[in-house]
Amino acid sequence: MRWFAMQESGVLLGHFEPVEADLLGLAITQLLEMLNAGSADPELAASDAVFARLLPDAYRDDDEAAAEFRRFTAPGLLERKAQNAQIVRDSLGVSETSEADATGPGAASASGANPDTDTNTDDRQPITIPLDPDTVQAWLRSLTDLRLTLADRLQISPDGDVHLTTEDMPFLRELYEWLGMLQEELVYVIDV
Amino acid sequence: MTKTAEHTELREEVSLDRPWVTLVWDDPVNLMSYVAYVFRSYFGVTPKHAERLMLQVHNNGRAVVATGNRESMERHVEAMHGYGLWATLAKAEE
Repeated sequence: MRWFAMQESGVLLGHFEPVEADLLGLAITQLLEMLNAGSADPELAASDAVFARLLPDAYRDDDEAAAEFRRFTAPGLLERKAQNAQIVRDSLGVSETSEADATGPGAASASGANPDTDTNTDDRQPITIPLDPDTVQAWLRSLTDLRLTLADRLQISPDGDVHLTTEDMPFLRELYEWLGMLQEELVYVIDV
Repeated sequence: MTKTAEHTELREEVSLDRPWVTLVWDDPVNLMSYVAYVFRSYFGVTPKHAERLMLQVHNNGRAVVATGNRESMERHVEAMHGYGLWATLAKAEE
C-alpha cells in the first residue's frame, strides 16, 4: 500500500508526500468553499450542475416530490458534506501543528514512532496522519464529492470520456485519477 | 382496513400498500469497489450480495437495493446521496 496502512493497533495511518498533502488540502478547501457557498445561497446551488450531481433528484418522474425531497434534505446533506470536508482538512493539518493536536490515544505513539511527522521546513519530509474510523468515513465521502465535482468540471460523459478542452484539463484529469487511486486504496485497506 | 365509501381514498389506500423501492444508478465516477463497500456497510449485506448488487448497477445501469415503505426509502436515498451515490426512489413495479 502506498498511502494508507492499517496498524495492528487498528489505527489507520495515511502517508503523504508534502506536495500530495498540499494538493489534497487545496482541493478539499475549494470543495469546502463551494459547499458553504451552496449552503448560503440555495439559488446558486440550484443553478450549478455540480450540485445537481451532489444532490440528485430523488424522484425521476415527479418534479414536485423531487423538489420537496430536496427542500427537506439538501440543507442537511450540504452541511454534512461540508463537515466531512472540514474533517479531512483538519486531519491533513495535524502534522503541521503539533503532536498534541493529534486525536486519539493511538495518535501520540504513532507520531512518536515517526519523527518525520513534526517537520515543516523547506526540506519537508513525508507526513503521517492517523485516521480514526469517523475520519476515514469523512475521507471516503469527501473523496467521492471531490471526484463528482471534478467530473462535472471535466465534463465527463456517462461513458466516462472527458470533454473539457481547456489548458486546465490535463492537471484536473490527473487530480481526478489520483483521487480515485487514493479512494480505491482506502476502501481496500478498511475492507474487512 | 379502514371502511370508506370514497372511491379515491380507497385507491390511495391500495396504492399505499404497494411498496416502494430504492434504486441506485450507474455513473461514470464512482468506483466499483466503493459502491460495493457502501452497500456492505450501509445495508449490512454480505460481501457477495454487495458485489452482486454493484455488478447489477454496473451492467444493467441500475439496481433495486431496498424495498419498503416510502419513508424508509426516502431515508435510504438521502443516505446514498450522503455517500455520493446516485439514488432515487419509486413505487415498486407490479
